[in-house]
Amino acid sequence: MIVLKERFVMYFRCTFPPATPALEFAAVMPVISLTVNGNPVTVDVEARALLSRVLRDQLDLTGTHVGCDTSQCGACVVHVDGKPVKSCTMLAVQADGENITTIEGLAKDGKLHPMQEAFRENHGLQCGFCTPGMIMTAVALADENPELDEMSVRKGLEGNLCRCTGYQNIIHAVLDGAKAMRS
Amino acid sequence: MEKYGIGQPVRRKEDARFITGAGTYIDDVAAENMAHAFVLRSPFAHAKILNIDTSEAENMPGVLGIITGQDWAAEGFATMPTKAAISKKIDGSPLNQPPRHCFAIDRARYIGEPVAVVIAETREQAQDAAELVEVDYEDLPAVIDARKALAEDTPRIWDNIEGNVCLDFELGDKDATEKAFANADHVVSLELVNNRVTAAPIEPRGAVAEYDATTDSYKLQNATQNVHANRTTFADVLKIDAESLHHLAPDVGGGFGAKNSSYPEPPILLYAAKKFGRPMKWVNDRNEGFQSDTHGRAQFSKVELALDKDGKFLGLRTRTVGDLGAYCWTNGPFTPTGGSARTQGGPYNIPAMYYSAVAAFTNTMPTDPYRGAGRPEASYQIERIVQHAADTLGFDPVELRRKNLMPTASLPRKTPMGLDVDSGDFPEVFDRTMKMTDREGYAERVANSKKNGMRRGFSIAPYLECSGGMPKEFAGISFTKDGTVTLRVGSHSTGMGHETSKPQILAHTLGVDFDRIDFIQADTKATPIGGGHGGSRSLEVGGAAVLKAANEMLDKAKVLAAHLLNSNADDMDFADGVFTDIKTEQTIAIDDVIAASFEQGRLPEGMEPGCLDTESIFEREIISCPNGAHAAEVEVDPETGAVRVEHYWVIDDFGPIVNPMLADGQVMGGVAQGLGQALMEEIVYDDDGQLVTGSFMDYALPRADSIPKMELGYYEDAPTAKNPLGVKGAGEAGCCASPPAIVNAVLDALKEDGVAHIDMPLTPEKVWRAISEAKK
Repeated sequence: MIVLKERFVMYFRCTFPPATPALEFAAVMPVISLTVNGNPVTVDVEARALLSRVLRDQLDLTGTHVGCDTSQCGACVVHVDGKPVKSCTMLAVQADGENITTIEGLAKDGKLHPMQEAFRENHGLQCGFCTPGMIMTAVALADENPELDEMSVRKGLEGNLCRCTGYQNIIHAVLDGAKAMRS
Repeated sequence: MEKYGIGQPVRRKEDARFITGAGTYIDDVAAENMAHAFVLRSPFAHAKILNIDTSEAENMPGVLGIITGQDWAAEGFATMPTKAAISKKIDGSPLNQPPRHCFAIDRARYIGEPVAVVIAETREQAQDAAELVEVDYEDLPAVIDARKALAEDTPRIWDNIEGNVCLDFELGDKDATEKAFANADHVVSLELVNNRVTAAPIEPRGAVAEYDATTDSYKLQNATQNVHANRTTFADVLKIDAESLHHLAPDVGGGFGAKNSSYPEPPILLYAAKKFGRPMKWVNDRNEGFQSDTHGRAQFSKVELALDKDGKFLGLRTRTVGDLGAYCWTNGPFTPTGGSARTQGGPYNIPAMYYSAVAAFTNTMPTDPYRGAGRPEASYQIERIVQHAADTLGFDPVELRRKNLMPTASLPRKTPMGLDVDSGDFPEVFDRTMKMTDREGYAERVANSKKNGMRRGFSIAPYLECSGGMPKEFAGISFTKDGTVTLRVGSHSTGMGHETSKPQILAHTLGVDFDRIDFIQADTKATPIGGGHGGSRSLEVGGAAVLKAANEMLDKAKVLAAHLLNSNADDMDFADGVFTDIKTEQTIAIDDVIAASFEQGRLPEGMEPGCLDTESIFEREIISCPNGAHAAEVEVDPETGAVRVEHYWVIDDFGPIVNPMLADGQVMGGVAQGLGQALMEEIVYDDDGQLVTGSFMDYALPRADSIPKMELGYYEDAPTAKNPLGVKGAGEAGCCASPPAIVNAVLDALKEDGVAHIDMPLTPEKVWRAISEAKK
């Protein structure tokens, strides 16, 4: 968590946008205020900037990944007011005033979230690229559905692509993680 | 030590960063004052480039400059040669290799070929400006189907390459095979397609290049599977000394072969970093990935099997047309030739075999090895023709397979394709898989499906494949006073868990603490050589290198331990991290020996502090033969053509399993990719060469609800003697077995409907049409 704070301080010290002229349609940079992983931030964003870009490039929260351009892969899932959202499909300006949680904000006080633990314990990841989005989706799925079973997890994860694992260990992880979240 | 020993499902070290978002993938890499590159790609499959006007784009905000094909040509850079493992035609002459520059210079030959690169302050600015680069194209007729490419009246893709042929190829005994067919009671024949697919790792390709003018040296961070080989290629292209290029990979988000290839963007980026004096970043988006990541498979084959009246296999003949796309790329010509030939016939006892192929150029993105690189094709070919033989000649498909497997007593042997099969027990593996599949309950499940208006089918698919990739690998072990052990390897994990399995081998062998082992891979400065990853080589070659280095280190440590105990090295025994003098029963722990190795006063003559650091190279002489038997049960809805894989069973023989958890992951991931190829994945170009499948909305990847429950097991009683770990490459087996298991199960389900064959992928539409056609 300390690292995160330092990153934010660094952000406030640097100037954004870059020193080059912005495009005409983005001449006026909207300013948005967010709470990200519990920290309030105010950011100048391009009007067309996607939430995923702002999180990654401006807030240095690179755990949110971008694996496609058509909202299919789910590597970019974050929580917006507790709901899972594909951050590559949301304009940053739409998130103004919202409470955002990214994968970096899931562990609390140096302790992994039960879903993170479950992914490691069940080998629910290989290359790790889809993993942040997969875990964020899984946490929301478990929050929203007290009675998860294998089929509902499979259905619930259909917006998240993994190319490495064949999903079976992810399903085990989500079921275990959900159970641990309830206990 | 036991907890982290060989055979234990040790949880992964790398996960600590991946589950917290702390991994560093290429798009997370930044350098101070970094500029961004966007690649403008050809929108035409085949077109002359008459002129490129960059004036408007150059004046866009943030643009630093634009590099076109003509600019590149003016620099006199070299072409990227193919490094194909098969490089000669049947007549011994070299294959036809078109020059592959990093840009299309005066003619574009596939959609996605780089035409210009825009450099700007931000990626968005580069992309905006790229839209204003005016390229004057003259559209030319495109050749899309590899079979048509070979026809006499088809236009040439390369002016000097007749018939669009790269090379022809043959392997096996043609005369003996013809004789076997002439004397056969039955001959069955089938034309089939191994559909063009793409690896589609979820992380897109990308790189960050830096140039240091003071030392005239480069640093390239690249989402690649193979830093050493690609360093050589990139340095050759740029005509610079390879030593001046530091090539390394950060965390890589999947590769599956596609990140092994040598792509044009990294050399362009290196050039741009020097030209503009700024670090350069480029990262593909997914649409660019579909256009410009290498594709795989893309083979059209005619397969024939000769049998006697009892169903004994007598001969196998396969003729393949392989689609290379517009260039030879990195190892493209190998796949439809040697790559597909080696494992023809799978695990069956077939006395005569002959494989022939021709590899053709088309106006499509080139193909290169994709997970399996020919072995999944071969496995599909043999299993489909065996199923077809059973169906058309009235044999039970399970029994027909079982009785034709290579008998255990016949091993070791060489197949007619020259494959050295040294170990295994194919009938035992086959029987174990069959035992898992609940045959007793099958009739009832079929009846239940029928009651619901569905069809149910089953198939087993025994397979025999082989490993591949670079035969040499490096491992280096070094120690520090504080007890840290650093392991440097030239193999490369892109998700397979080497950061865990390689230290596991080291911890097991040396008895040092697993948690104290640091791991370095994919860095040309860290290891003198490295084969990266490909051909399921990383454990059998890379793991063997770790074991070799560990044992060589132990030899030195034994001398030191003996010195410390005032005994003879010959009397020293070593087990569980402890040296024991067998005569005096004095002991000393390896950690104490390592600590002593840094104290000059405690060392014997000839040993210096740091003397236990060890570097080793292992070289594999013969590739291993992973094998197994997979089985699938499917349900098909005849009203919609939808296929649901209900259950999937696996027994694999990879020799002894180092980490069963990681092995399971390899198998399940491979099965899922094979399921994708079998049921949903296909790269489609229309007749004009337009890429129809340019996104995950058009190219269907398996999702969590497309995958059945998989039950896995291992047969570990037949280690190979080809490497000291006894292991057989595990990474590609899954996608060798699952396409035939699934497709044959679907066709088994549709037997009563009279459907004899459907080409992959078995999409609902194709299945529904096949059922409708059969009704007519």
